[in-house]
Amino acid sequence: MQDLLELAVGAAASGCIYGLIALAYLLMIRPTGIINFAVGEWAMVAAFGGHLLLSRYEWPYVLGMAAVVAFMMVVGWATERIAVRPLVEKGTSVLAPILALLGVLVVTREVISVSFPPDPLPVPFPFGIGRLELFGIGGSYQNVFIIVVTLAVFAGTWFFFEKTLWGKSFEAVSLNRRAAALMGINLSRVTALSFAGGAGAAGLAGLLVSPNISAHYLMGVPLAIQGFTALVIGGVGRVEGALLGGLVLAFAEQLTARYAPIPSGYTQGVPLLFLMIFLLVRPTGLLRARA
Amino acid sequence: MKRLAWVAGFALLAALPFFLGSYHNDVYRKLLLWITLALGYNFLFGICGQVAFSHFAFYGIGAYSVVILLFQFNLPLPVAIVLGVVICVGIALVVAIPSTRLEGFYLALVTLALAQLFIVVLNEGGNVTGGTGGIANYRLPSIFGWRIAGPPYTLVIVALLAGTFALLWRLDHSWFGRACRAVRDNPEAAAAMGVDVARTKVIVFTLTSALAGVAGMVYAFVDNTVNPPIFGLDNAFLILFMVIVGGAGRHAGAVIGAILLFLLPFWLSPIVGHHHQLVFGALVVAAILAQPKGLIGLWDRFSK
Repeated sequence: MQDLLELAVGAAASGCIYGLIALAYLLMIRPTGIINFAVGEWAMVAAFGGHLLLSRYEWPYVLGMAAVVAFMMVVGWATERIAVRPLVEKGTSVLAPILALLGVLVVTREVISVSFPPDPLPVPFPFGIGRLELFGIGGSYQNVFIIVVTLAVFAGTWFFFEKTLWGKSFEAVSLNRRAAALMGINLSRVTALSFAGGAGAAGLAGLLVSPNISAHYLMGVPLAIQGFTALVIGGVGRVEGALLGGLVLAFAEQLTARYAPIPSGYTQGVPLLFLMIFLLVRPTGLLRARA
Repeated sequence: MKRLAWVAGFALLAALPFFLGSYHNDVYRKLLLWITLALGYNFLFGICGQVAFSHFAFYGIGAYSVVILLFQFNLPLPVAIVLGVVICVGIALVVAIPSTRLEGFYLALVTLALAQLFIVVLNEGGNVTGGTGGIANYRLPSIFGWRIAGPPYTLVIVALLAGTFALLWRLDHSWFGRACRAVRDNPEAAAAMGVDVARTKVIVFTLTSALAGVAGMVYAFVDNTVNPPIFGLDNAFLILFMVIVGGAGRHAGAVIGAILLFLLPFWLSPIVGHHHQLVFGALVVAAILAQPKGLIGLWDRFSK
């Protein structure tokens, strides 16, 4: 039982990371229909940003974290400006920006792999290494920190979409671009903000996970796959779905790694299995979009 | 007359290896294999409009399965080849049936997960796959007491290229090719015209994956070694980039893209070392922004 509770906290933390990546996809998919495969690379860039500011230059954690997330939002905004907007304005199909973003993905990864040594680089823990015990449930400081930050981000995103006029304008765009434009909503601003927000969420995920797994230039693709699987499990319709999907996937992975008699590397097959099952059985995800 | 020109062209390709040294023969073989792969991927991506990242993984699945069946299970060559194709078709069907049911880019994500998992399986496969070191030191079994090696083996690759091209060309110019283009351009209209959209996607994915698998089987005896780094995700992106840069949807575009992106690292390596992927990525973004029809589109514009 103790063993299971221990595993639960770790799984919840991984699930939160997947949920943040899924949120990054979701923020960009809903107003534009564009699946941005580069979210994993964005998480990777933020992890390296964390290494640079927090390990090498030893900035205070809060300042470093704010700087990295702000930088990622600029990256997202710039990516939209350079690789997405010209295509959208030309009226191409949604495939063209997706392919352009794949080019951006490769460029991003190569720039990082040229600029840093190939070995995994350390990123410091904000609260050091230690355990927090509460009512018999224990977890490392970092895992508890990941869970708290993710919950705060999801609460904020939910509030933004449900309670603010800005959020409503995003919702309007995702329901009907043309009608939204006719109602006076600035489409290109919504798209730019959705990319900035997506990059911010992905960057936060990368920064939070990096103390546990170190910054490495190949860390992006697994995160991109896990995040998308979380999105398919939860459903694109609702923000909470991303978090729910992330948690379901992470628990399945951790239970497989812990109890299934297979080499631990094979747990990377769990997302593929979930993708296929959900696409066959429940393609709309666990949560349905509100009418 | 036109047919004669094609035959002469392939005869030229077949004659070339006998005038090349062993190093250039090696480069030439790999170039031909890349062109074969690009032609297959162009049918899936360029003509049928499906993005997948598993094409190179199937190349690896073909290579690994023929080597494992031949040398771990000691099966005869024809049986190993047939079983290898069956494995590729089986995996392709399992992956494609769920992910082509819906509109959107699910196939891309599912195949990305498949390609990633393939590398994990290779690394963790223990004695069967040889782990991180892969399998080496094997040789093509002799057929009727005759062992094909050196320039004659390059002929096998030319034959593979010719066969793949002929098959894809025939398909492209049949009703099936038109159905594929309709699925790419407007799935609703295609469905209204009586095309089974999901089935068309599944057939094209399975067929092109099997072709990649066969090319992989041929590749297995080019270097006489198979190991995980060869079949990594970098190459899955590279093949997509070849088709985009050359011109998606055109056989000539796929060929030009494959030749250019295969040869580019040879010229670039003094300048950028091993980081030619950086140049490829930038090239793709530039191509999509400035010239979505690729190099073949430029050619069309100037030849008019």
